[in-house]
Amino acid sequence: MTEKDHSSSEDPALVRAAQRGDMAAFEELVARHRDKVFARAFSMVRNEEEAVDLSQEAWVKGWQRLPQFLGESSFGTWITRIIINLCLDHLRKQKRQRFESIEAMDEESGGVERQMPVVTPNPTVNLERQELRKRIDQALGQLSHEHRTVLVLHEFEEMEYKEIAKTMGCSIGTVMSRLFYARRKMAALLANLRRDDLT
Amino acid sequence: MIDYDLQLKLQAHLDGELSPAEARGIQARLARDPEARALLAELTATTAALADFEDGRRLPESREFFWSKIEREIHRDASSASPSAALPWWAGWRRWLVPIGTAAMVALAGLMATRPGLAPEAEAELADPGAFTYRDYTARTTLVWLSYPAEKEFPADDGSDTMD
Repeated sequence: MTEKDHSSSEDPALVRAAQRGDMAAFEELVARHRDKVFARAFSMVRNEEEAVDLSQEAWVKGWQRLPQFLGESSFGTWITRIIINLCLDHLRKQKRQRFESIEAMDEESGGVERQMPVVTPNPTVNLERQELRKRIDQALGQLSHEHRTVLVLHEFEEMEYKEIAKTMGCSIGTVMSRLFYARRKMAALLANLRRDDLT
Repeated sequence: MIDYDLQLKLQAHLDGELSPAEARGIQARLARDPEARALLAELTATTAALADFEDGRRLPESREFFWSKIEREIHRDASSASPSAALPWWAGWRRWLVPIGTAAMVALAGLMATRPGLAPEAEAELADPGAFTYRDYTARTTLVWLSYPAEKEFPADDGSDTMD
């Protein structure tokens, strides 16, 4: 008996088949979206092994919750929300196990971002695309997970303040403050500035 | 230096999160404040740089291997979440049959003990707490009640949900 070839099916058809219990259809969905899910996990936890494990967990949860998926968003958006929530839970657990990061303490104590001089001219203008990507990646890795998460949700997932606040379980004011800090810090990092140079 | 409230409003303006009235207020401020314009330019440049940043990171595992792990977890979760699905329909009643059967045995033994003649016996074997024996010597009857399934009562595990 041969399995049905799902490679030419659209996502909604695959979802419907998977909702009827067709695991081959679900496997095709995994194959299509696994890199995006992994990349989002990595952008939040910054650890490849953890990102792989969280991705796997997200897909298992995706299968279990598939009957609840009504198609109000795309399947890609839906599974990305699952990985984001898993990463947030993971980061919260990690945070409980260790001290607050220096970045978070800065935010609590008044925020150096308010006093940072404005970075001019635009430090990214003359950078090669590859160099820019490398710097952005490095800079993201230097942010605390709270700041990085807000930035990822706003810039990459294009969420509004209200939605980010709901996802992260904080106020809109906190979202605005964290986003502002993250952007200013990114600007400084992209310009290769050190904190010592800023004060 | 511009105050923090204005800094956040400039950012909200960039993100399209201000009401039309607030946006007009910020526009007016930007027209007369070079510091506010410089900050907005920095925020805009950072946002633009990030918008162009597409993390092309790929999952470092093959399609087959990654799926095999997911598939195994799905089967494992399914079997642990609803073990009753693998059992016959009457298996759920079995936990009630044991105490009810025991109570019935004791009641029967008590009833027979009050009758003249050789009283029947009901006993639980100490060596096998899951087995109860009822003997009626006058009727020359012996009944043995087992609270566990006989060998091969359940179909063999097909191994589909086992962990390596």
